Amino acid sequence: MSRLIADAASALAPTCDYTTGCITCGDVAVPLTVMRLDAERGLALCADDEGKSETVEIDLVAPVAPGDRLLVHAGTAIAMLTEEAPA
Amino acid sequence: MKYVDEFRDPALGEVLAGEILGLVEPGRHYKFMEVCGGHTHSIYKYGIDDLLPQNVELVHGPGCPVCVIPMGRVDDAIALAHEPDVIFTCFGDMLRVPGSDGTLLDAKAHGADIRMVYSPLDALRIAKANPERPVIFFAIGFETTAPSTALTLKRAKAEGVQNFFCMCNHVTIVPPLRALLDSPDLRLDGFIGPGHVSTVVGVRPFEFIPREYGKPISVAGFEPLDVLHAIHMILTQLKEGRCEVENQYARVVPWEGNPRALQVMSEVFELRPHFEWRGMGFISQSGLKLSEAYADFDAEITYSVPGIRVADPKACQCGEVLKGVIKPWECKVFGSGCTPERPIGTCMVSSEGACAAYYNYGRFAREREVV
Repeated sequence: MSRLIADAASALAPTCDYTTGCITCGDVAVPLTVMRLDAERGLALCADDEGKSETVEIDLVAPVAPGDRLLVHAGTAIAMLTEEAPA
Repeated sequence: MKYVDEFRDPALGEVLAGEILGLVEPGRHYKFMEVCGGHTHSIYKYGIDDLLPQNVELVHGPGCPVCVIPMGRVDDAIALAHEPDVIFTCFGDMLRVPGSDGTLLDAKAHGADIRMVYSPLDALRIAKANPERPVIFFAIGFETTAPSTALTLKRAKAEGVQNFFCMCNHVTIVPPLRALLDSPDLRLDGFIGPGHVSTVVGVRPFEFIPREYGKPISVAGFEPLDVLHAIHMILTQLKEGRCEVENQYARVVPWEGNPRALQVMSEVFELRPHFEWRGMGFISQSGLKLSEAYADFDAEITYSVPGIRVADPKACQCGEVLKGVIKPWECKVFGSGCTPERPIGTCMVSSEGACAAYYNYGRFAREREVV
């Protein structure tokens, strides 16, 4: 059994944050705002509400414009968020 | 934060909880499955089950892609990581999933070049920065994540990147749901449907659940009010004698999904005849592999993998947990032999896993559980 469980090195593993869930491998997506477009490469620089930015694939929701809100999962925008009021 | 704060309002939560109390029939026991690991996480993080009447029970489904990976696939991944010069890339949670002879993290400790990435695009960047070395991306996830892998492979092909490969472990959500509904040891009254998978596939694929199995389903978002609202919608259907698919997450999920994402997936992937799920065995047409057009990027074609089926550890009851037959804390090794720091089963590894979520948020609340 000892071979089946992670050894001491696993304690040092770069794992996802349990308090926020795993963005990449779970069914979790985050809302980001488009800051700048690289239309030729189909990429956009997007930022969250705290200003943390990342490069995002926008092919699935194109066309987008700076200021648009996107739902992003694993570096890819999977939906455009609208201004619809909460249910 | 817009789209978030509105759905975490405690006062609205109390109103919804009160209405839910008014919808349940005394003496009747309700058992709903939240399909998605993201919902499991929200339920325990926000204590949603504590707001529900005693006779409304939530059981966890097979919706965490890390949790359903069988040990044999981990062994295959480790074999690929040990190939000469290979840079092996994967999401963080996968590093700690035990195979039959250790984890990817163990393999890294033994010298394999294994790197954690946050997206397939990150893996492609590593490939472009290291053109002399093969870079393999361990692709995992449901239909939420598969388009991201597909787009990255399209990009790699368009840019002529020849040292980028993919070990595809993407799975689809409908076949395991059908397998669960066909299972004789599970009686469910309704489903909380997966929100972000539905962003891609739409709501229509779930219509078979009310039509063929007579169970209501509400596709739901991940904030606490989303989950409560979905439970409210399912209970309302049951009270009114209706049985249909409803879309609680309409602010994000279009009924038809994302047609562009589906098109990209159909270009890059094709269905495997069958794929093994941890604890559930082989399920027909439940896994994806790369299509003929992308065969040059398929790590399992370029390299040989052991491909040996490995039985789960005897003490591990992930299979029953994934099917909602037992609660995480009913597993023999939960919290003792198996913890997030030293997991035996996959459900304890991923933060979306039912056992990890329960261990982190819900283990003190088990007295209220109705079994």
